[in-house]
Amino acid sequence: MDYSNLRRQAASMKKSLFDQGYLDEQFCQVEDLQDEASPNFAEEVVTLFFKDSARLISNIEQALEKYPKDFNKWDAYMQQLKGSCSSIGASRMKIECMSFRDYCGQGNAEGCMKSFQKVKREHGVLRQKLEAYFQLLRQAGPTGAATRPSM
Amino acid sequence: MASKNQGSTPRALVIEDIKVDSVIILRMLEKLNCEATVARNGKEAVDLFLKGKTFDIVLSDQDMPIMTGPEAVVKIRAMGATQVKIVGVSADFGGMEAFMQAGADVFVPKPIKFETLESMLQEVIQKKNMHG
Repeated sequence: MDYSNLRRQAASMKKSLFDQGYLDEQFCQVEDLQDEASPNFAEEVVTLFFKDSARLISNIEQALEKYPKDFNKWDAYMQQLKGSCSSIGASRMKIECMSFRDYCGQGNAEGCMKSFQKVKREHGVLRQKLEAYFQLLRQAGPTGAATRPSM
Repeated sequence: MASKNQGSTPRALVIEDIKVDSVIILRMLEKLNCEATVARNGKEAVDLFLKGKTFDIVLSDQDMPIMTGPEAVVKIRAMGATQVKIVGVSADFGGMEAFMQAGADVFVPKPIKFETLESMLQEVIQKKNMHG
């Protein structure tokens, strides 16, 4: 198997994720925390993120239904999700979270609902893309230091 | 004569309820050779101090269930823990005022950068070495 080609593909995929705004510099910070002792740290953190974020999204969904127009509650849940997005560099998701919070601030329930759908969509897309990225990295085998995409 | 504390591992308390965030900060602290303890909210942190635990640096999130970061900072300082460096960490810039009024030493925005944490720990280590 051509491992160097797989690594090139992984690097290209990562660059694409940055170019399309799915990820920001914070993702590189997470990858930089990998070393021989924790070679899969980034994937572990991302896996944890998606587990946590799925729970938070479910909480928000329930809150939207059970607590109509309770913007403070909705905002509090979304603040947590936004924080997690920031921590792993999930840039597009973070932007949609911020949009939702803006609508909460305006008391705009319809805006919140539409924005929440976007949050869920971005969550699903990012999950697919990062799963593909890490699968490719696993196939490519262990590498040296993480490389930053040229931006 | 070398200070007995020279080269001793700094001890950090991370007050954070979001698992992803605490895992990342803990990993940073590990890479910086820092011993770390996690409290999931302000009350757990205060309880650690009440049990007599001491730390060189506290990194506290703002909004947490049961007791917030600023609330915990007020209580920690009231217990006489005036030497420990307390860092308020939040994605909400409004948190700066709350933390500083509570008695934190510094506020940093979330997500915290490795270089920022490294720099703060260097200060803590230097201060530890000076005081022996």
